[in-house]
Amino acid sequence: MGKKQIKIQIKDLGFYYKNQQVLKNICVEFENNSITSISGPSGQGKSSFLMALNRLWESIENAKVKGTIHMDFGKGFENIYHKNYSVTELRQRVGTVFQVPNPLPMSIYKNIAFPLKLRGEKNKTIIAQKVKQALIESFLWEEVKDRLSTDAGLLSGGQQQRLCIARALVLEPQVLLLDEPTSSLDEASVRVIEDLLVQLKKKCTIILVSHHIDQVDRIADNKLVLSDRRLEQQ
Amino acid sequence: MEKNVWDMLLGFFAWCCAILLAGSMILIIGFLIVKGYEAISLELIFANTSPLEALLFKQQVFGGLFPAMVGTFFLVLLSIGFALPLGLASGIFLAEYAPDSIKKIFSLCFDILAGVPSIVIGLFGFSITILLHHSFNSQIFPCLLISALSLAFLVLPYIIKTTQGALESIPLLIRLTAPSLGATKLENIFLVLLPTSISDITSGIVLAIGRCAEDTAVIMLTGVVAVAGIPKSIFSGFEALPFYVYYIASEYSDQSELMKGYGAAMILLLICAGLFGISHWVKKWLTEKTRFSY
Repeated sequence: MGKKQIKIQIKDLGFYYKNQQVLKNICVEFENNSITSISGPSGQGKSSFLMALNRLWESIENAKVKGTIHMDFGKGFENIYHKNYSVTELRQRVGTVFQVPNPLPMSIYKNIAFPLKLRGEKNKTIIAQKVKQALIESFLWEEVKDRLSTDAGLLSGGQQQRLCIARALVLEPQVLLLDEPTSSLDEASVRVIEDLLVQLKKKCTIILVSHHIDQVDRIADNKLVLSDRRLEQQ
Repeated sequence: MEKNVWDMLLGFFAWCCAILLAGSMILIIGFLIVKGYEAISLELIFANTSPLEALLFKQQVFGGLFPAMVGTFFLVLLSIGFALPLGLASGIFLAEYAPDSIKKIFSLCFDILAGVPSIVIGLFGFSITILLHHSFNSQIFPCLLISALSLAFLVLPYIIKTTQGALESIPLLIRLTAPSLGATKLENIFLVLLPTSISDITSGIVLAIGRCAEDTAVIMLTGVVAVAGIPKSIFSGFEALPFYVYYIASEYSDQSELMKGYGAAMILLLICAGLFGISHWVKKWLTEKTRFSY
């Protein structure tokens, strides 16, 4: 196997919420096309760490980040916190899936097409194609292809979570952040999503926050543990 | 065991309150229907004019309620037309943009505005009109436009409060969804947050519509007159149903005039019901459009 390529480089990352330090001096690198798991007790800042990677904390009041994060999207390492770096582009390249499935109050189809519309895609054929492909990639197409115009909220929990993964995938992100994506799902749904992640590794760099040691053992290439505000190799 | 008794008592009390309120509502509307039912006729609305001619505004209606109905309709339309964009924008500002300190001050201001009696708002509109009349243009008199603007002021707090409340009650997870997919703040507000809260916001608008249709104090000082016919423009005086009801109730000379007052009250109720229906339909249409159509 060739030399592993680094996708994300993090130096001295600190995260503050309401003047409390949540993360401290985090220095870590993530390899391309790998699954890295982050585990550790609740309330230790795992979600905050993910929010630093897509700058989503900027939408939350009283949050603050220090340090640098560089990502390589094919043009060499770029500082995602540089003032000229577009946060919209960053979030199109770094997809996010949350702990609780969060379909928007729209139809299945509109949910997946939503990010495309945000990006300004107007061609309906292309949108339809990409929606279909994202649904196929997230193992959901067969289950929903006959009811694309029904409310996404009517799907089961596992289906909703795969819908959210499909919605993140439709922009073809290079990095995928998942915050305990299976914690609210039953065993069968969990397995489906784990298989899906292993497939997706070929296209993306995946960072997975997970409580479940057995899940981490099954699919993670790298295992990190967050404790006492620091991130360490397991 | 003791807790059970309290539970039951509280439940009983709650039931009684609900029944009392629902009963009062049925009583009021029932009273109106019983009294007004016989009075309602085409003659009450159009008097001696042919309904078709009147509806096409070809002939003025004298002695009928038609001018007051048209007046009330346009008054509500104009007031809501002014109040809605302002109220929505202020609500969005308070919920999404204002820092905490400003939010506190502004919320206090809007709470005070909500508590201002309508007669004071009417007086204020009237004073402004006089001021403009003396210092700006002597052609400015109390009119439909000024009534509508004053009413818009009266109902603004409802729209602001419901918009702000609806937006603020959206869970953080839904709030972060669109930004996490690359949406700007503005896109998030217009594509996700507003459509999500449209149902709550509409109920605020319905309240505002009702208030505009029924308020008498404001328009009494700012433009309504007993006989004006169909308003020729927004700068002319106008008739309105609530004022007609008030006028009849205080000055009726015989039983048949009083019956006309009941009829007018019922028509006012029907117009309100119609406007509620329209806003409900608009809500449904908007929801369908934003959520489910391809």
